[in-house]
Amino acid sequence: MPFMSLLYDEGQQAIAIESRRVLDARTSKQRLLALLEQTGVYDIAFWDTAVEQGWTALAIPEAHGGLGLGLVELGLVAQAIGAATAGAPFLTPGYGVAYAIASSGNADLQARWLPRLAAGESLGAVGLAEGNAPLPTRPTVRFAGGKLTGVKGAVPGGVSADIALVWASRDGEPVLVLAELSGVARSPVDSFDNARLYADLTFSETPATLLAAGPDAKALALDLLARMSIVTAHEQVGGAEALMLLARDYALTRRAFGQPIGAFQSVKHRIAELYGLVEIARATCIHAAGVADQGQAQGAALSALVIAAADARLASTEAYDTCARDCIQVHGGIGVTWEAGIHLHMRRTRSLAIEQGNTLFWEDLLVEHLTGVAA
Amino acid sequence: MSDFEAFRTRAHDWLESVAGEFGKAARRGLSEADDLALGRRYLAARFDAGFAGINWPKELGGQGLSHIEKVIFDTEEMPYGMPTGYFGISLGMPVPILIRFAEDREWVKQRVIAALRGEELWCQLFSEPAGGSDLAGLRTRAEPDGNGWKLNGQKLWTSWAQYSDYGVIVARTDPTQPKHKGLTYFWVDMRAKGVEVRPIKLAGGDSHVNEVFFDDARLDDSQRMSPIGGGFGVAMTTLMIERYVATDSGGFGPHLDLFVDLVQGLEINERPALKDGRVRSAIARNHAMRAGLESITARAMQMLQAGMEPGPEGSLNKLVSVRSRQRLSELAIDLQGNLGFAFDEHAPVKDNWSTSWINAPTGRIAGGADEMLLNTIAEKILGLPQDHRPDKGVPFNQIPA
Repeated sequence: MPFMSLLYDEGQQAIAIESRRVLDARTSKQRLLALLEQTGVYDIAFWDTAVEQGWTALAIPEAHGGLGLGLVELGLVAQAIGAATAGAPFLTPGYGVAYAIASSGNADLQARWLPRLAAGESLGAVGLAEGNAPLPTRPTVRFAGGKLTGVKGAVPGGVSADIALVWASRDGEPVLVLAELSGVARSPVDSFDNARLYADLTFSETPATLLAAGPDAKALALDLLARMSIVTAHEQVGGAEALMLLARDYALTRRAFGQPIGAFQSVKHRIAELYGLVEIARATCIHAAGVADQGQAQGAALSALVIAAADARLASTEAYDTCARDCIQVHGGIGVTWEAGIHLHMRRTRSLAIEQGNTLFWEDLLVEHLTGVAA
Repeated sequence: MSDFEAFRTRAHDWLESVAGEFGKAARRGLSEADDLALGRRYLAARFDAGFAGINWPKELGGQGLSHIEKVIFDTEEMPYGMPTGYFGISLGMPVPILIRFAEDREWVKQRVIAALRGEELWCQLFSEPAGGSDLAGLRTRAEPDGNGWKLNGQKLWTSWAQYSDYGVIVARTDPTQPKHKGLTYFWVDMRAKGVEVRPIKLAGGDSHVNEVFFDDARLDDSQRMSPIGGGFGVAMTTLMIERYVATDSGGFGPHLDLFVDLVQGLEINERPALKDGRVRSAIARNHAMRAGLESITARAMQMLQAGMEPGPEGSLNKLVSVRSRQRLSELAIDLQGNLGFAFDEHAPVKDNWSTSWINAPTGRIAGGADEMLLNTIAEKILGLPQDHRPDKGVPFNQIPA
C-alpha cells in the first residue's frame, strides 16, 4: 500500500474549523427540538447551509460539478454535523448515490444527476436494507424489465429524496439500480429521531436504471456501504466529542458537597474514559478515510476498506453510545429534561447506530474479512 | 521519509540476521541466569552493530540519531522477543538521567557504554511501602553525614535490583518541608555496605521485583544529582524522558492473530468456534480498539517526523491496551475449557494466554496505575480539578500517617 498520511493538511484543517464555526452560528436547539415532534420535516436552514458551503459537492468529481475532494474532507464536515446533531439526513446518502453513479460508468446518468447532487438541487437516498438486514443476500425488491417492484422499509431521507439507489434481485442475482422517486408511494415512519425522514418506499413497476449486477453489484454495494459508514462514523465521533466536552464543562461548573463535581473521581474518571473512547474512534476514522481515498476498492483493497470501515464503525458507535449515556448521567436530573436537549444526541446515537448497518453486521463482516470465515 | 525507511530496513535486516541466536526460539527453556547472560551478549552485539543508544550523543557511545530512529528500531525489535527485558528500566530511565544530570562526564561515558553493552545494570529506586502512586509520600531518608549522606529506609517493587550494579534513588532530606520539597535525588552503588536486596515472588511465579533495604548506607555528596530539596523535579523528568516510546496495541500480551489461531482449532456446540457470535464480537471489538491505538501511534510518528508535537492521545495506549489484554486472555483460556487448565509459568507472555492473563494485573499497576492514568487524562488533558489532597502544603512530619 502506498504511504498514507494520517495528518490533516492546512486545507483540511480549514474545512474542519469553518464547518464547525458555521454550524455553531446557525444551529438552533429550539428548531431541532421542534423537528422531533413532527414527522417528515427536516431542518431547511441547515440544508441551505450545507448547499451554500459546498458540502454536497465535496466528494463529487470536478468533471461533474463537484469539488473532487474525498472522505477525509467529507468526514471532517460530518464530524461538525454530528457535533451539532444537524437536522437533515441527505449528506451521507447523497454522497453514496453520487459515488455509485460515478462508479457505474454510465455517462448519461453521470451527466444528469451528479451536477444536481453536487449543487444540492436533487436529494439522494440509499435503500440497501430490508427488514433487520443491512445488506440482505436475497433482497425481496425485484428488478425486471427495467422496472422495480417491492418495499424498502424506513429508508433514511426517504420522505423527501428525489432519487434512490436500490439493492434488488433480478433473476436470483443481486443488482444495484437507480430509481426516480416521483411516482413512488412514500409512507413516513414515526421515529424517535424524526429529522432523519425515514419513509417506507413502495415501488410498483417503477422505472429504474441498472448500475451493477451479480458479483459486481455485491462488490459495489460493499464498497459503497463501507464508504458511507466511514462518513457516519465521523458523524458519530463528532457527536461523541461534543458530549464528552459537554460533560466536562458541566463537571467544572456544577458544584455539590462543596466542590465541583468534576473533582470526584467517579465523575472525572468517567469523563476521562469518554476521552479515550473518542480518541480511539477518531483515530479509526482518520485511518479509514485515508484508506477510502486511495481509490475505488476491489479484491484485497476492498477487504482493507471493509476492515477499516468496520473498525471505525464499531469504535465510533461505542464512543457515541457511551458518551450519550454518561453525559446524561453526569448532568443528573437536568440531563433528562426536554429543554436541555441532550436527548437530541441520545436519539441520534440510535439512528446512526442503525443507518449503514448495525454493529452486529459490522462485527460479522469484519471477522469475515479478517479470517475468511463468514458468520 | 526515505532516510527513516532506509534505517528501518537496515534495522530489520540486522535483527533477522541475529534472531536465531538471540530470539524467542533461542530463549525457550533457559534459566533466568542463562537468559540474562544471553541478554548481555545480545546487547553487546547490538552495540557493535551500531543500534545501541540510538538517540544518545555520539561522544557518550550513542549513535547521535533522533528519537524517531529509536522508536523505529524498538518497534522492529519487539516482535523478535529478544532478551532485552532486564535492561529496559536501566536504559530507559536511570542512564538517561545520568547523561542529563551527572557531572563527571568521563565517568558518565564509562557507565553509559557499560550499560549499553549489557555489562552493567541500573535500577530505579522510587516506590516504597508507603508510596507508589503517591511518590512524594516516600519515607526513605538521607541525613547529612560528614561530607556525604547516610541512607536509611526501604524501597519496594524495584525491578531487577537483584542484578543491578547501580541505582538512582529519591530520598527525604528534610521532613520539615511539605512533601514534594524535602526530597533529593542520588545515585547509589548497589554493592555497597548497608544495601540489601530481597526478591519478591509475584503471583505469576517470577521474581523480577525486589524490596531494597538501606541500613546506614553511605553516600558521597558527589553522588547527589539534584539540588538539596530538588529531587522531585528530577524524578518527574525521569518519568517524562521518553513520552513517545514504541507501543504495543496488544498490551504487551499476545497479538490478536494468536487469538484467531487459537479459535480456529476449537468448536462450540459442534460448530466452528469462529462461527460463534460471541467469539466474533470479541475479535471484532479488539480489532477495532487496537486499530485505533495503532492509528494514534502512526499519527504520532508522522507528527514527530514533521517536526510537530504529537497529541496527548498517545497517553491512552497502556491504559486501554493492558485492560483489553487482560479480558481477552481470560476469554482465550475459558474458550479452551478443560484444556485451558494447563499452565507453564515460564511461557512468554506475548505467546501464551495463561501467562499473559496471570501477569496482566501487574501491567495495570506498574508504571502508572490505571487510576493515576485516568487522573492524568482528566486533569492535564481535560482540565478537570485535582483530587482533594489533605496533605498539600503540610510539612511532611506533620502529615498523619
